[in-house]
Amino acid sequence: MEKVVYALFLVPWILAAAVFALPGASLHRLRQVLTFASLPVLVWLTYLVWNSHLPITMNSPHWLKVLFVVYDYLLLLYFLYQGVKFKNFLVSVLALFQLFLLTWVLLIMPESSVPDFYVDRLTAFMFLIVSTVGTLICIYATKYMEQESLERENRFVAILLWFLGVMNLAVSVNNVEWFFALFETTTLASYVLIRFRWDEVSLKNALRALWMNQVGGIAILLGLLFGIKYYGFTHFTQFLTLAGKPGIVMIPLGFLAVSALVKGAQMPFHRWLLGAMVAPTPVSAILHSATMVKIAPYLILRLSPVIKGTLLAKLLIVTTGFVFVSAGLLALTQDNFKKILAYSTISLLGLMMLTASMGSSMAVLASLTLILFHAVVKALLFMEAGIMEKLFKAKYIEDIRRLIERAPITVTFVSIGFMSMTIVPYGIFVAKWMAIEEASNFLSHGAYVGSIIFMATGGVILALLYFKVIGIMTRKRGEFYRFNLEKLPFVYLVSTVPLVVFVIVGSIFIAALLQASVNPVVAAVVGSPAPISAKGLTLVTPVSELYGWQIIGAFVLLLIVPILAYFVHFTGTDRVYEYTCGENVKLNIGTYDFFCIQSVEPFVETTAVALFILTLILGGGLV
Amino acid sequence: MDFKSFRKKSPWILHYNTGSCNGCDIEILACLAPKYDIERFGALNRGNPKQSDILIVTGPVTKRAKERLLRLYLEMPEPKVVVAVGACACSGGVFRHMYNVENGVDKVIPVDVYVPGCAARPEAIIDGVIKALEILEKKGKEVELPRWCSVEVKPPVNRVKLLNRCLEELHGRRRG
Amino acid sequence: MSYWEAFILTLISLVIGGFIYGLERIVRARMQGRVGPPLLQPFYDFFKLMDKRSIIIHSFHAFMGVMYLIGTWFALFVLLSGGDLLIAIFFHVLSLAFLVVGGFSVRSPYSVIGAMRELLHMVAYEPLYVLSAAALYLVTGTFQVSGILHSNHTPLFYLPLLFVAVLLSLPAILKKSPFDTAEAHQEIIGGPEIEYSGKFYEAVYTAKWIEYIYAFFFIFLFAGGNHILGALLVIFSFFFFNLLDNVTARVNFRQMVAFHWYILIPLAVINLMLIALWRS
Ligand code: SF4
Repeated sequence: MEKVVYALFLVPWILAAAVFALPGASLHRLRQVLTFASLPVLVWLTYLVWNSHLPITMNSPHWLKVLFVVYDYLLLLYFLYQGVKFKNFLVSVLALFQLFLLTWVLLIMPESSVPDFYVDRLTAFMFLIVSTVGTLICIYATKYMEQESLERENRFVAILLWFLGVMNLAVSVNNVEWFFALFETTTLASYVLIRFRWDEVSLKNALRALWMNQVGGIAILLGLLFGIKYYGFTHFTQFLTLAGKPGIVMIPLGFLAVSALVKGAQMPFHRWLLGAMVAPTPVSAILHSATMVKIAPYLILRLSPVIKGTLLAKLLIVTTGFVFVSAGLLALTQDNFKKILAYSTISLLGLMMLTASMGSSMAVLASLTLILFHAVVKALLFMEAGIMEKLFKAKYIEDIRRLIERAPITVTFVSIGFMSMTIVPYGIFVAKWMAIEEASNFLSHGAYVGSIIFMATGGVILALLYFKVIGIMTRKRGEFYRFNLEKLPFVYLVSTVPLVVFVIVGSIFIAALLQASVNPVVAAVVGSPAPISAKGLTLVTPVSELYGWQIIGAFVLLLIVPILAYFVHFTGTDRVYEYTCGENVKLNIGTYDFFCIQSVEPFVETTAVALFILTLILGGGLV
Repeated sequence: MDFKSFRKKSPWILHYNTGSCNGCDIEILACLAPKYDIERFGALNRGNPKQSDILIVTGPVTKRAKERLLRLYLEMPEPKVVVAVGACACSGGVFRHMYNVENGVDKVIPVDVYVPGCAARPEAIIDGVIKALEILEKKGKEVELPRWCSVEVKPPVNRVKLLNRCLEELHGRRRG
Repeated sequence: MSYWEAFILTLISLVIGGFIYGLERIVRARMQGRVGPPLLQPFYDFFKLMDKRSIIIHSFHAFMGVMYLIGTWFALFVLLSGGDLLIAIFFHVLSLAFLVVGGFSVRSPYSVIGAMRELLHMVAYEPLYVLSAAALYLVTGTFQVSGILHSNHTPLFYLPLLFVAVLLSLPAILKKSPFDTAEAHQEIIGGPEIEYSGKFYEAVYTAKWIEYIYAFFFIFLFAGGNHILGALLVIFSFFFFNLLDNVTARVNFRQMVAFHWYILIPLAVINLMLIALWRS
């Protein structure tokens, strides 16, 4: 089995190297075939891992350790070089600080025989996301970059593929120091992807992403340092042995949690993810939102058995809950489609980490469900954003007005994506529902009551946001009896349709999906599976039930009906113009821009900073 | 089942002021107030042509209001009746023969009931509405058009086109 | 409640809702010193609308109106069938989604403004409802509506502040003054429902009757297994919110959201936390 796991890291790298080595416009098809090949191969490998006897622990040869150390230094020196080259003070100082910390860590790092690779079900779960959603993104990218510039397509796709391997590796290492290296490698990946076009904005945003993520790296190193100082721990599995012990020192965990918050683009570190959107590379945006940031909830999930019920967990709940609501609020003020998606990503990441920090089996189940569905849906939405940008020249909310008249398929897909994040039968809703019901068990804790309020408020704010967008897309001038489906390139269809199908089918069979696929992961994380069961389509939770007929009913209402609405024509009925008090006015309706919310932005950021510091100081036990 | 008998039990009213002095409008509002309370008969002031049955028009129809009146009229679903309230609406009243008025609602849209008075008394208005309801009950559901309008319609009617044709004719008539 | 009972109740909810609406119009008229329409007035309106020639903007919009009725009906069935309370609350959101998408789908300024305000209504009252579901769970130990209806506890006695909060947000759900910004007849002439006419307006009109049942059933839950008290609560809240409707002016949407978020939700939270602390 070890070979399979290694293959999961190496296959993407080999493919990446192959794609990179085949430049030029003429070899485009070949590169596409190679990229297509990554999907079945990676899925098959993941399938093997998933079905094997987990957890797999693997010891590593000594040279690998040395290699990692060398790599670490090279990486940080590269950061330093970038900081000096672009005269970015923060980047260089942070790189220096990281070098210093790393050296310190290496000096005091105890020799340990704990295996360096730890592949449990949570890891396999992340493999699953990377090898499906991630490869679909790569496939999509081949077409997207073809329309962008064929010359540099090979580089771009190669970076994406290479990133998949890094991502797979990052979630399977046990050694925190290695994790730091891979964490910073994903930082490197985002840096390279964001600055891909080498214009001023891209570079600026890339550097910002770099230094913000470096802060996260520093947090990991500090966490590791204190972990060694207090316990002599250098591996995640060692930290997990602390679970349930009274009076543990929270400092290392606090730092690790903070690094997750940074990677998860939680306020006040949300700017880097937004920057990734402004940079004109939507595919990297996809990668960021759909896969890379998932490291953050992954890290919290890893630690959740230890931090469960502590002050740190409660403060994390409040902080991430606050981000969930306020990122949704700020998203209302945006008029750039991708920025809206970015803000909603930040928001939902908050929710994922919130549920992960609760730590009980139901909450972890909710968190994993969120991760799964969010990855799929966000990838879908960003792909659609790219399609809208490339094919329909629509980047801003104003441009997508009445898009339904031009692009019914795209609009339907986007609507499904948006609705699946708020409305009743979809997976993300189910997760939210389970989380609220779980939090209801702890109403005497302020943090949990807070989490209910955050979840409810954030949920409706996101609903407001999404319906604002759906509304403007579906506006029509009048009836059209014969509407033309737009022609989408084959690659776009191949990469989006599976996601849509998964969202729908997965939501219909949510009970079985949770029971069969997600619950084993919960068992691996928490120790015992969540007490749910599936009766047909019905999902039975400890306190309640989501009936199959409700799911089906909601789907009939939500999906079939709007699609039917295109085909229902009340032919015998009069048509009329809109009511305008009898005035003859040009109807050019926009939408609300919620400008008033911008006035709370400074307040929101201040509060976010305060909560962040509170989490670190009180939660991390620095007092 | 014959629903015709329900028409007079729930008359919903749209009230439009085509340049009146507001005397009549005040009286119409008085009808809704506790003393006369026409909600007793189920009447509601909807303010929305698409959901109304009775169009109550006051004022002498100024040149500017003419087109608006036509738009509102065509927006109302049949069966519908028009009540001209006040001397102005019936014939132009004190504004008659001024350079900027049309001398009465019936120059633009067909009127079913004329309520005289300057200002018309609430009792008279209520009386007029009751008369209108009797007419409403007998009316069919065919599209009604202004008398001067020569556009031929056959269902289903596209009222956007219809309005444009009517407007052409309206303006053409003035020019001619 | 068995499925059959729930089904029948849902079917006749139209009639009951119509009567409630008729009663409301009478009560409101009496409060204003008027006589008011007959009790059966909503049904007269219903049959009259049946007979009107329908004119529509486009079919999608008209169809969404019909779907709003069906969606609300389904949401009511979900609530009455005794399933999970939270799910029922979110189904209500789903039904509103049709109204909102319908409202957005035409190029009418009033309709678009109204649809957006409809969403803002949701932003205002939704958290309160989720909180009350959690609170009912805290008191009765179950999220199932049927369980709450057979519980030995009377949630009202444990959750007086929360009940007050829900009572005060009742106008926001039913779109009555002071929280009627979404409909605002004098201002945006009914908001999302403005472009409907004839039979399609009828659907929207009757969907609102069903919302009455929905909201009052929610109030009814606050009495737990004590059904007589529940009936009293419903009657009380009916008169109370009519009184409120008559004596207050419309606030703007910011004031509405602010009132819900800064006054009603804290009120509910205080109640919730005190009870939870007492219990634990
Ligand atoms: S009829 Fe008399 S009161 Fe009525 S609008 Fe004309 S001038 Fe005014």
